[in-house]
Amino acid sequence: MAEKGYEPVGSMGDDTPLAVLSKESRHLSNYFKQQFAQVSNPPIDPIRERLVMSLFTRVGASLNVLEESADHTRQIHISQPVLLNSDLAKLKNMEDQGYPYAVIDCVFVADGKPGRLKEGLNRICEEACQAVKAGKRILILSDQKINSGHAPIPSLLSTGTVHHYLIENKVRTHIGLVAEAGDVWEVHHFATVIGYGASAINPYLALETIHTLNQSGVFQKNLSDREAFANYQKAIGNGLLKVMSKMGISTLQSYQSSQIFEAIGLSTEVIDTSFRGTISRIEGLGYDDLATEVLIRHQLAYDLQSNELPAGGIYQWKRKGEKHLFSPDVIHWLQHSTKTDNFELYKKYAQKINDQTREQLTLRGLLEFKKRKSVSIDEVEPVESIFKRFATGAMSFGSISFEAHTTLAIAMNRIGGKSNSGEGGEDEIRYEQKPNGDWERSAIKQVASGRFGVTSYYLTNADELQIKMAQGAKPGEGGQLPGDKVDEWIGRVRHATPGVGLISPPPHHDIYSIEDLAQLIYDLKNANRQARINVKLVSQAGVGTVAAGVAKAKADAILISGADGGTGASPISSIRHAGLPWELGLSEAHQTLVKNNLRSRVTLQTDGQIRTGRDIAIAALLGAEEWGVATAALVVEGCIMMRKCHLNTCPVGIATQDPELRKLFTGNPDHVVNFFRFLAEDLREVMAELGFRTVNEMIGRTDLLRVRQDVDHWKVKKLYLSPLLYKENAAEGVGLFKQIDQDFELERVLDWKLVELSREALDQSTPVTGKFTIQNTDRSVGALLSNEISKRFKGKGLPEDTIHVKFRGSAGQSFGVFAAPGITFELQGEANDYFGKGLSGAKLIVYPDKDSSFKPEDNIIIGNVAFYGATSGEAYIRGMAGERFCVRNSGVHAVVEGVGDHGCEYMTGGRVVILGKTGKNFAAGMSGGIAYVFDPEHTLKELYNPEMVDLERMDEADKVEAHAMIEKHFHYTKSDPADWILENWDLASELFVKVMPRDYKAVLLKKGVVVAEKVVK
Amino acid sequence: MLTFLIGLSDFPTFDLIGSRPMGQTDGFIKFNREMPKTRDPKERINDYKEIYPPLNEEHVHQQSARCMDCGVPFCHNGCPLGNNIPDFNDAVYHGKWEDAIRILSETNNFPEFTGRICPAPCEASCVLSINNKPVTIEYIEKAIVETAFANGYLKPQPPKARTGKRVAIVGSGPAGLAAAAQLNKAGHWVTVFERSDRIGGLLRYGIPDFKLEKNVLDRRLRLMEQEGIIFRTNANVGENVSAKFLTEEFDAVVLCGGASAPRDLPIPGRELKGVHYAMEFLTQQNKRVAGDRIFSGDILADNKNVIVIGGGDTGSDCVGTSNRQGAKSVTQIELLAKPPVTRNQETNPWPNWPMVLNTSSSHEEGVQRNWAILTKEFVGDHMNRLTGLKVVDIEWQVGESGKAGFIERAGTERIIPCELALLAIGFTGAERGNVVQELGLELDDRGNIKTTNYLTSVEGVFAAGDIRRGQSLVVWAISEGRETARAVDAYFMGGSQLESKDLSQVRISA
Repeated sequence: MAEKGYEPVGSMGDDTPLAVLSKESRHLSNYFKQQFAQVSNPPIDPIRERLVMSLFTRVGASLNVLEESADHTRQIHISQPVLLNSDLAKLKNMEDQGYPYAVIDCVFVADGKPGRLKEGLNRICEEACQAVKAGKRILILSDQKINSGHAPIPSLLSTGTVHHYLIENKVRTHIGLVAEAGDVWEVHHFATVIGYGASAINPYLALETIHTLNQSGVFQKNLSDREAFANYQKAIGNGLLKVMSKMGISTLQSYQSSQIFEAIGLSTEVIDTSFRGTISRIEGLGYDDLATEVLIRHQLAYDLQSNELPAGGIYQWKRKGEKHLFSPDVIHWLQHSTKTDNFELYKKYAQKINDQTREQLTLRGLLEFKKRKSVSIDEVEPVESIFKRFATGAMSFGSISFEAHTTLAIAMNRIGGKSNSGEGGEDEIRYEQKPNGDWERSAIKQVASGRFGVTSYYLTNADELQIKMAQGAKPGEGGQLPGDKVDEWIGRVRHATPGVGLISPPPHHDIYSIEDLAQLIYDLKNANRQARINVKLVSQAGVGTVAAGVAKAKADAILISGADGGTGASPISSIRHAGLPWELGLSEAHQTLVKNNLRSRVTLQTDGQIRTGRDIAIAALLGAEEWGVATAALVVEGCIMMRKCHLNTCPVGIATQDPELRKLFTGNPDHVVNFFRFLAEDLREVMAELGFRTVNEMIGRTDLLRVRQDVDHWKVKKLYLSPLLYKENAAEGVGLFKQIDQDFELERVLDWKLVELSREALDQSTPVTGKFTIQNTDRSVGALLSNEISKRFKGKGLPEDTIHVKFRGSAGQSFGVFAAPGITFELQGEANDYFGKGLSGAKLIVYPDKDSSFKPEDNIIIGNVAFYGATSGEAYIRGMAGERFCVRNSGVHAVVEGVGDHGCEYMTGGRVVILGKTGKNFAAGMSGGIAYVFDPEHTLKELYNPEMVDLERMDEADKVEAHAMIEKHFHYTKSDPADWILENWDLASELFVKVMPRDYKAVLLKKGVVVAEKVVK
Repeated sequence: MLTFLIGLSDFPTFDLIGSRPMGQTDGFIKFNREMPKTRDPKERINDYKEIYPPLNEEHVHQQSARCMDCGVPFCHNGCPLGNNIPDFNDAVYHGKWEDAIRILSETNNFPEFTGRICPAPCEASCVLSINNKPVTIEYIEKAIVETAFANGYLKPQPPKARTGKRVAIVGSGPAGLAAAAQLNKAGHWVTVFERSDRIGGLLRYGIPDFKLEKNVLDRRLRLMEQEGIIFRTNANVGENVSAKFLTEEFDAVVLCGGASAPRDLPIPGRELKGVHYAMEFLTQQNKRVAGDRIFSGDILADNKNVIVIGGGDTGSDCVGTSNRQGAKSVTQIELLAKPPVTRNQETNPWPNWPMVLNTSSSHEEGVQRNWAILTKEFVGDHMNRLTGLKVVDIEWQVGESGKAGFIERAGTERIIPCELALLAIGFTGAERGNVVQELGLELDDRGNIKTTNYLTSVEGVFAAGDIRRGQSLVVWAISEGRETARAVDAYFMGGSQLESKDLSQVRISA
């Protein structure tokens, strides 16, 4: 961080134990998991929408908000919360300007006697109260005064405890809290200490470390300490913005004391005293236990006989370090057993994994099956019927190689399970079955926030459409594929320009609420009514309520993903500190669905570090009838857990696009098939032992699990896992697994009439025309028709204008969604949100009703988020569009007469001509395509986001292109502004501003030849 | 890596791996494995000096760039010492030799030995060796320690305080020396007893100078002496020093006597003049190189046809030594079949030790190697002098029981003429001298000293190394010595802060 100025990035999942299960002394903040927004509200993009974010913070007394006085302003303003030593000194120096401070020594007696930590906390609380009484305005909680007899109180604990004590004594607002902390160095530490009340933190030991590292020449750049500190502040600041934004919080001031964490494994006493109000479902450690953890490290510091710090081993496996599920032996056995089809060796692998989980690596390891009358294994349902319950995880082509991706797909298709496309689109050549019967098509097509390559044809080629609300490794965050990884192939599959970076925004811009999600589900169901709609959620407190909402929004399946799942690239603090293991989320989701009698309408799926038949059996008993496996399947393909996926240097050809490295891939679908057969056999053995003949009987039988009694580690003995095993009493007739299909009322959609009209077009490509009235209950118009086109004519669809339909009225949401080539929709009237979402080649024309009296160019006639994720097609809008026009557009050519805020956000391709006003933050995150904005008043330079684009004048080629588009616009809509501009083209063309992404320009310059050709034409 | 922050109180598990790509992320793509060129075999067989020329820093730097800093470093698992290999590779890559030696010394007391003579199980399990050639880990290790000595980074580090406890270590091979170093570091007074005239055990007299020059050993022993360890040579415990004396005078005794009883070949003619154990032969030569005179009758290969029985490392050492002594011919025979050149992926997959044909530097110097040969009889002349070895070719087969067996190939019996035969067919276990008897130690099924967490059946008496686990590698002996030292320290102090390869220093006791 000090060297580069950003938080480190890692890859693969977290296979280490929860802090409360760890046999290592862990940092207190590791007991707290960050919460994040999913479905209920959108996360924010803290980079591209930086304008709404702030790290500003204040220290000092806050007065009554209902009054106003000059004294109210007497607070110290701090631009960001990471204080250098000099900043802290400044703060102290403001004493004579009316900001008296007190320093409280946050240490406790290190003799190991019970009650010492509590004593220390009581003392500092008292001192804090006295400081307030003495009129102090700033309280500095310092752990500097440690020595061999006194150990530091964790800063998070001292901050939380003092914060709550002062609230209890009704004096909290009189004073500001600042932590002078040796135990705060990474983003999550800052987030927790601020989240529990501190305004700012002086991480003196981290700073000292940076200084020492710099002195010893570790940083490769030649940095001054000042620069290194500034980099560190920047990295932490951006990390904090990310943590806040994943919950949808904009400002640090709202985040301060917000306590947006779930604690795992702290006792009620600790929670009620120090972290009051925090969600905590699993009872655990008390103050003396926390003291023990601190003292282990404290003593080591004074007794250490070596000059080396312990090796760590949280991220990289180390013999002496934290335990990992994937140790070298386990990887080897898994690979060798599946390669040689050796079930006995697989059993050895499974035994080792199960022993490890029992060694406190996972929550499920602490559970055991109750004895039941067993049945013969011959009576248990066969592996073939279990296979269909398996899925591989969502990994995109782009994050993993073509070879690795197709190997999984072929294997899953062979056994009737499902592989997942991930969010990177899919090469259409994979949709055709091979002569030998193998099929590279992914049964699950993912629809994520980036919508890369999501076309009608893509959606048509799926058995399941998965809406990815969050990803276990980084819930609430987006992603980015750097431009150098977007080669010709990936560019084509993702409908993007090779060489141009691609951003997945944190939120789906068409899902800001549960109703929006219902709409997207409806869109997708229309786009492929044979496919199951699956919504992927990440385990956290409250996921049950969200799941109930999702079930009511008519998802067919819900995936509860564990927070420990893998990733191709994520900030390390996200991999480790956000979300919960699946056991907790799955249990909550299942019971909530049962309670609301919704369980029988949805399939529950779970994934996250699932490795063996035992894991699957526990997942089933906790409520999941289907299971996903990703990392283990990759290991079978040859992955050796390099954790270098983000560097494109995978030495076994999996997580790389480098052609030379890809040649080293040795994965084989046979091995993957072997693995899933082993898993199924392993599960069958457990089923036989437990007396289950079918998986369905097992679902949600938490009554057959109990907490192991033979665990003797004191840390685990304090855990209270019963909430995990709570079983909702289901009334008679309440189903415990999926039995009832959701009713989408598809028979009512307008598209049936369109299909009827298009009969000849669909059969013989004969052009057809028609007229319909439309109203706002007609949603997702065009999706089902496009599905029919895609089924028959694949990706290329029909010739232009083959199906020309005129509508009159007010169109509902998602008009023209995923509309395929050959469709022309002409709408007289107006349209709701998501106009042209995912447009896949069709032409959309909209103009106001002939009877309307408003001036179209000054009024919004299509709603927000038009052309989200559109890949190709044309559009002419006689009027203004709402916010986020053409967000993530990658190919549509659109003309519009004005747009709201965030226009052309994340756009990667296509052309947009705007004949009127734009809103704020125009072109944020825009990496490709071009926008031509008519800007006679020169306001765009105030409104656009300069991070990735430049404003230029149009050159001759641009003018030709814009003129042609405006001509068409006039042709279709008889637009007045277009008419004027065309009439006065010489003058008007000079008033256009060309919005040009820098990356895109660089790529075009590289292909200078191509550009030159275009000019000649 | 941040492992070199000293004594920061609350920072122990500051694990920053992944925060900064270690080494060069694409080094393994750009560079191939390259070992330094050895001296010309024709030249080097005229002396007993090491076969490698001095280090080339640029070359080491480039080789270290090949380390991929794996998320699961199999090398670190494959190393019996648990060396933090990616960490020191990274330090070398960044030119931080002082950090590198510190990281290396943390897990290995004697990298200058293992950097020369270890078969390098780490390299066998290196992830790069899945489809490429492994990182030259052993060579980098040697580079680190030699650079450290050359630049004076390795200074005597006597303990800051003494506990007053006294430990006797019996045997000064790698296990004994490692135990001594660790126990001394923990502040105990350590005396090492060695029956031979010089310290070092097999390192001194078992391994030829061309593989490990003895000044390398002496250099380390000087450091250890300066750190306060006392060495007693010609002290044969059980003979001229009584074991009882040790148990009475010392607070603990650690037996590190090795597994030096050689395996014999009981076939007709074994008693002929010219049939010797490999160790007798090698020891004599090491003494000669050290400038000693041999009184017990020279065993020399000069102008002789030499046959080396046994295809392992010791056999290889006999080949190299015979050539240096001017043998007329050197033939090496092995009972097992000739191993394949590349590993069998089905039965012998990575990261297991590859059962492949290994050609040592001694082999390069000239030898006739034969496999699948059974020795039938030593043949002699009327003076009882060896003249030949009667052998027969065999064929290995897997029997019905699944066990491999062999049959003789009819008509292949022949006599290979030879005047010197060296038996390099392993060791059978501890030489059960008087110590075992005197102290009444229990043995395990294989005849090794029985221990529980390195403690023998007798209070205060520990055992480490080959004497406990049977014949093994130097790297295992060092590991044994270290782990035993920790057990002894804990025995004294109730707990130990000495490193152990698999124990976290911030673990929470149950």
